[in-house]
Amino acid sequence: MLLQSQLPNSLALAPVLVLALTALLLLVVDSIDPDSTNSAALAGISVVGALTSLGFAGWFLSAGTGQVSTGGGISLYGEALVVDGMALFFMAIFASVTAMVAIGSYDYLRGKPHQAEFYTLVMFAATGMGLMAAANSLATAFVALELASLPSYALVAFLKKNRGSVEAGLKYFLIGAVSSAVFVFGISLVYAATGSMVFSDVAEALNGTEFVGVAGLGVLMIAGGFAFKTASVPFHFWAPEAYEGAPAPISAFLSSASKAAGFAVAFRVFTEAFALSAIPAGIDWVLLFQILAVVTMTLGNFAAATQENVKRMLAYSSIGHAGYALIGLAALSAGSAQNGNVMGASMAHLLVYGFMNTGAFLFIALTEHWDIGRRFEDFNGLGSQAPVACAAMTVFMFSLAGLPPFGGFFSKYFLFAGAIGAGFWWLAAVGAVNSALSLFYYSRVVKAIWIEDPSGEFQITSKPIGLYAAVMIAALGTLVLLPGFGPVIEMAQTAATALFA
Amino acid sequence: MVPAEWYLLLAAAVFCIGLIGILTRRNALLFLMSVELMLNAANINFVAFSYQWGNVTGQTFGLFTMALAAAEVAIGIGIILVLYRNFDDIDVTKATTMRW
Repeated sequence: MLLQSQLPNSLALAPVLVLALTALLLLVVDSIDPDSTNSAALAGISVVGALTSLGFAGWFLSAGTGQVSTGGGISLYGEALVVDGMALFFMAIFASVTAMVAIGSYDYLRGKPHQAEFYTLVMFAATGMGLMAAANSLATAFVALELASLPSYALVAFLKKNRGSVEAGLKYFLIGAVSSAVFVFGISLVYAATGSMVFSDVAEALNGTEFVGVAGLGVLMIAGGFAFKTASVPFHFWAPEAYEGAPAPISAFLSSASKAAGFAVAFRVFTEAFALSAIPAGIDWVLLFQILAVVTMTLGNFAAATQENVKRMLAYSSIGHAGYALIGLAALSAGSAQNGNVMGASMAHLLVYGFMNTGAFLFIALTEHWDIGRRFEDFNGLGSQAPVACAAMTVFMFSLAGLPPFGGFFSKYFLFAGAIGAGFWWLAAVGAVNSALSLFYYSRVVKAIWIEDPSGEFQITSKPIGLYAAVMIAALGTLVLLPGFGPVIEMAQTAATALFA
Repeated sequence: MVPAEWYLLLAAAVFCIGLIGILTRRNALLFLMSVELMLNAANINFVAFSYQWGNVTGQTFGLFTMALAAAEVAIGIGIILVLYRNFDDIDVTKATTMRW
């Protein structure tokens, strides 16, 4: 109550504003001292900025800003943006991932030029993601999506003398450019059918519209734009290349935060603008997401099982996880009381995923720092050399697979239980079978680390503090979410239920 | 006044030309131009239906799209430049250190 009555409404955007100001501050630092290699200061500013943003998001979430208990979402700038429980929940995810990535980048970037630009781009991308979660109009959704995408293209190609990184950046950019063109054409068709961009007005105009065909094509194309951002079928094929070639902290950033951002905006667009209760019967987007969820899960997991390269395996597993999260959109039905539970479980899964997947990619960053190869065999016997980091990696792998004592188990459990509760038992069944399959390739990493004998000598001479700290924080996050999962899932489900009200 | 359907047809045609360009061209710069065609197809819709619905939302968004298209090209040219430095070519199918 405090915030809403005493402070200006626009301060509800504080988690995003802090990220944007941090990015600008980094630019100022860079212009004062352009050739700075003082990475501690740059990483420090980024981490403090991300943590402040996380602090604001956490404070607002606990104070009830924009949530049902204090009168619902705060809409800003003529309903272009809205800050509610869901937006704040996702902003917390983005801020935590950004903080971990910034800590990990400190060691990863040692001795490389243009460090200030790197952190600036990360911060701007995080700002865009936060805005995506708050977007309440197709116009802001598109601008925010581009604000998140454009810095990401540059970040993937950041190692300009590394052919893999440049190739990854090129492919990410090409597919991104096409899918954003498809997305904006979809918006133009929806605008043609409804004459509006604000979600609530679009929903109103769609109710009983005579332009079902045009609107339907528009909805389909907008879904395509989100499929790119979340790395789901049919716009998934950039992901293995981009994640493999990109600097590992950026792979972590893209596969966790960027994916969650895609889901954040998709959740809001499809519940508010294309609400099931208002949309003409001919536009059955739930069926579309059911197909996409099943295909994405299956394709991601099967492709991951055939990989020999750990980073690429993680990339495909990240496609598989996009499939699980899609259940949050696929298991909906008009007027069902279960809708909020399923979508909330999907949000909680994205939070847990944010920690465990970021951690797994940062572990890869650690091995790249040590010049260990990328194949499974190269990891043989690593456990005896770096037991602490490897224990953390084991936690990530088992959590990603969804084994019982870890955070990933609870989020998947609630997700599948929600799908069954909503009457989509077959979605849960496909998800469970895929999870069982995923255990195969995740346990290969664990087996290589702990059981296999080393095939060669490791040259582990340095102990990169930043990367170690980031991996540990991610592991801690995955583990703390065990006892803390009750409040998290409750918060997520309340926030999601508010969308359907 | 030209009926609205014709604008939809024109936009769809421009969009498809862009899409075909993307599928057939291997030169990265021509690829960028094709994307530009697709974005401008959306702009045709925005402007035409802005007039049709009698509000300026669409026209304003058309300006947004142009600005973002320019930003996208700036990033794209940068990436194409480093592509040329690393692979001595701007053929998008030549960059295959990883599997495509």
